[in-house]
Amino acid sequence: MSASLSLDALTKVFDDASRPAVDAVSFSVAPGECLAILGPSGSGKSTVLRSIAGLDVPSAGRILVDGADVAGLAPERRGMAMVFQRPLLFPHLSVLDNVAFAATVAGQPKREARADATQFLELVQLAGFGPRPVTALSGGQEQRVALARALAARPRVLLLDEPFSALDPELRSDMHELLAAIRAQVAPTVVMVTHDRDEAAIVADRVALLKGGRLLQHDTVERLYTRPVSLDVARLMGGRIEVPGTVRDGIHVSAIGEVPAADGETWAEGAGVLVVRHEAIQVVAARASAPEGFVAVDVVVAERTPRGPRAELALAVTDQAADAPAGSVDSPRLTAEVPASRPLAIGERATALIPRSACTVVAG
Amino acid sequence: MAMMIPYGQRITPDTRETRSRGLMRPRPLGRVVRVVLASLLALWFALPLVPLLVWSVANRWSFPAVLPTEWGLDGLMTALEQGAAPAFGRSIVLALAVAAIATPLGALAARALTLGRVPAPRLVSGILLAPLALPAFVAVMGLTIVLLRARVPAALAVLLLLVAAALPYTVYTMRVAYAAHDLAFEEEARTLGASRWHVLWRVHLPLVAPGLARAAFLAFLVGWSDYVVTVLVGGGTLVTLPLLVGSYAAGVGNDAIVAVLSLSAIIPPLLLLLALGRFGRRYPAARFAGPTPSRSPKGSP
Repeated sequence: MSASLSLDALTKVFDDASRPAVDAVSFSVAPGECLAILGPSGSGKSTVLRSIAGLDVPSAGRILVDGADVAGLAPERRGMAMVFQRPLLFPHLSVLDNVAFAATVAGQPKREARADATQFLELVQLAGFGPRPVTALSGGQEQRVALARALAARPRVLLLDEPFSALDPELRSDMHELLAAIRAQVAPTVVMVTHDRDEAAIVADRVALLKGGRLLQHDTVERLYTRPVSLDVARLMGGRIEVPGTVRDGIHVSAIGEVPAADGETWAEGAGVLVVRHEAIQVVAARASAPEGFVAVDVVVAERTPRGPRAELALAVTDQAADAPAGSVDSPRLTAEVPASRPLAIGERATALIPRSACTVVAG
Repeated sequence: MAMMIPYGQRITPDTRETRSRGLMRPRPLGRVVRVVLASLLALWFALPLVPLLVWSVANRWSFPAVLPTEWGLDGLMTALEQGAAPAFGRSIVLALAVAAIATPLGALAARALTLGRVPAPRLVSGILLAPLALPAFVAVMGLTIVLLRARVPAALAVLLLLVAAALPYTVYTMRVAYAAHDLAFEEEARTLGASRWHVLWRVHLPLVAPGLARAAFLAFLVGWSDYVVTVLVGGGTLVTLPLLVGSYAAGVGNDAIVAVLSLSAIIPPLLLLLALGRFGRRYPAARFAGPTPSRSPKGSP
């Protein structure tokens, strides 16, 4: 039931638009893989999904399913099934008949279609809900039924367009678990559009990051966080630390000192911005020397923002040479997260330990 | 017995009852005024029916008497002798034909207008609504000549004109229906493998069915109650119920016959109206006989 999908320079220009909504986007999804198309609103991610489904006609480029171009194929003949943000359950059909819809329109006898649908209702943990009217469901149940209905169509590629965005956080994590369970059982190829990078990180194997219709990076979730290819990617992934400097002989030199590239990494020579996830930075009270594989930076706690069980610290880098407490606005800053119980107060001196393996340098 | 929750009455934590909303809470004086107004309105609608009902079973009812002086079914007998039954049948056929043609036409026009697929939409809407503004005589007098010259059979000519007269109602009703219609349902169905035909038959039509029923009802009424077009264009060849009523009402001493004919003219629209109230809902509640769904507030799984 799962197929491979690849996009080859997919471009979509809407009639009245000056610039393309989707600009030469290419990526591929392996059978059974889950790809998240991540991007801020207006990045063209939904247009990509609608083009794959056949609901929008691309201006240029190809969409290949199992190597075959699907251009000109009507949506119903592409073997896709889509789940939208709204459940869109047909109000004139019962829950069971909604799930049986694909089989019914495919010409299966009603009895068989319903028997089949029953299995999919069980798959989404709604056994026994079949005879109910769709108006008698809660929001989470509706989206489960929508998922069951899409899966019952045996799609070669399952398309999810922000399917869980309208649900509250608790329900959303339930749905993430459900999706993981479904992937373990039926291994569909999934393409999911989302604006939530945490959701992408939880659900997807790989992420295609879009901005302004362009594909910025297509990579695994982990590499997207730790090895962004550009400043844009680092910022879209929630990166907070940007240290401008210069790379000379594989060593980044900046206000925080010298940071050599991790083993196996090569950084482009010349001006470059060092980016590192603030989650990776450890804060040690008082002066400390760097353990193996770390870079130690002397800092002063400049700001402390509570974040529930954790606290976010803005760390002003002290002038390495003068060893004077910094505080000037233009001194570079690092961001770190510590447990809320750590007593690091504003003005306190500390050492930030940056793991070399978490650092990467991108063009400024 | 399973009670179904009708469509739109979703029970959500913010209860939609007017009682709980300060601004909409009924005031005692307001309630009295409302009841009085409603009663007056009901009286106004029902009162004319009373003499009709009495007359239909009266053989003689001379002026000063409060009640008929002689009861009987002479009116009904005479009406039947004078061809009330075939006229009734012709009216039904004509009204159904008008509804059958004007409803899909109105739906198509409304959908195209709603989806913005029509150039100069305001002009087109205006033209479609024009028959409402134009006095029927004006249009009919001119068209009669055209249709007669073109040798269009009288019955067909009547049908064509009545369809045009019914279009404003069907277009308007269907525009309301399509404004509330969500195209995403159709897209969803397409991705699930439904062809255009399947989408039309299994998704689109069921979703707009209540609107279609209302539009068809209005178109039926246009055909059912028409007098002017049938007289002028039909030239007396097509005798429908309104024509029969008209001719007897013009005479003297036919009150019983007119009463019987008028009452029979009320029956089909009344039945349709009842059917509309019963089946014309957006959500066919009676179809789902099952356990009463447990109502969990929206948001819990």
